[in-house]
Amino acid sequence: MGKNVLLVDDSSTMRKIIGRSLRQAGIEFDNIFEAADGLEALEILDKEKVDIVLSDINMPNMDGISFLKEKATRESVKNIPVLMISTETGDDIIGEAKALGALGAIKKPFTPDKVNEVLGPLL
Amino acid sequence: MKESLDVGSEIVAGCKDVFSTMLMVELEAEEVVIQKKVAIKSNITSMIGLGGGLKGLLAVHCPALVATEITGTFLGMDVEEIDDDVKDAIGEIANMIAGNLKISFAKTDTKIELAIPTSIVGDSFYVSGIADSTRIVVPFRMGEGKFWVELMYIMNT
Repeated sequence: MGKNVLLVDDSSTMRKIIGRSLRQAGIEFDNIFEAADGLEALEILDKEKVDIVLSDINMPNMDGISFLKEKATRESVKNIPVLMISTETGDDIIGEAKALGALGAIKKPFTPDKVNEVLGPLL
Repeated sequence: MKESLDVGSEIVAGCKDVFSTMLMVELEAEEVVIQKKVAIKSNITSMIGLGGGLKGLLAVHCPALVATEITGTFLGMDVEEIDDDVKDAIGEIANMIAGNLKISFAKTDTKIELAIPTSIVGDSFYVSGIADSTRIVVPFRMGEGKFWVELMYIMNT
């Protein structure tokens, strides 16, 4: 059975770019689900089988940090791994994300090679 | 120890990094304009509010032809007119340039917070300056076209 990924970013352009970067990096998923914020992401996690989440931090409605906090309270999804993809690179906010369970972070702008370097070992 | 920051050069480097990494496009920067009037031709402007150690905004101003070329290159498809994809793509470009600038300012112990990008489309609008702000504009050439990155800010004391 193949793997599924959930891309969470308020920019539809960035979701497309991340999806393309995954393919260019040779990382294949059976399904790529998309959400525009943390609230949409939680709805998808409730309904679909997701193996890993790639999430932005700065988003309207529910940002990436709030998403991690809320996800951690939900027994059925709390163990799904999350990798942050964001312009945010400060030790404080990335540290907070990691403390909430994020496995790491990829800084925007990024190359497919960078995506492969960080995401590859997690799959 | 705090470093002094050549903000214009940081904008040039940050913008070139975004375009070379995400679009495989090498930009040519023109002379940085500081506190002087500069003619800007824009059909779409994407702005990001800046807070924290400074207050202000970063804006990317593009004529329609340049905005559609950037978006088409970004997404790998033909784009004919300014639509939601263009507004989103130019907003994300502005977001990444602002993100690089945030890293630059962090070298001077100035912590910047970024708002969510906003895009404005039209033929007749202008972005009003913040009173007493520092205004830096960098014109960039992309192929035959030209666009502008503008930063207006006041340091919060």
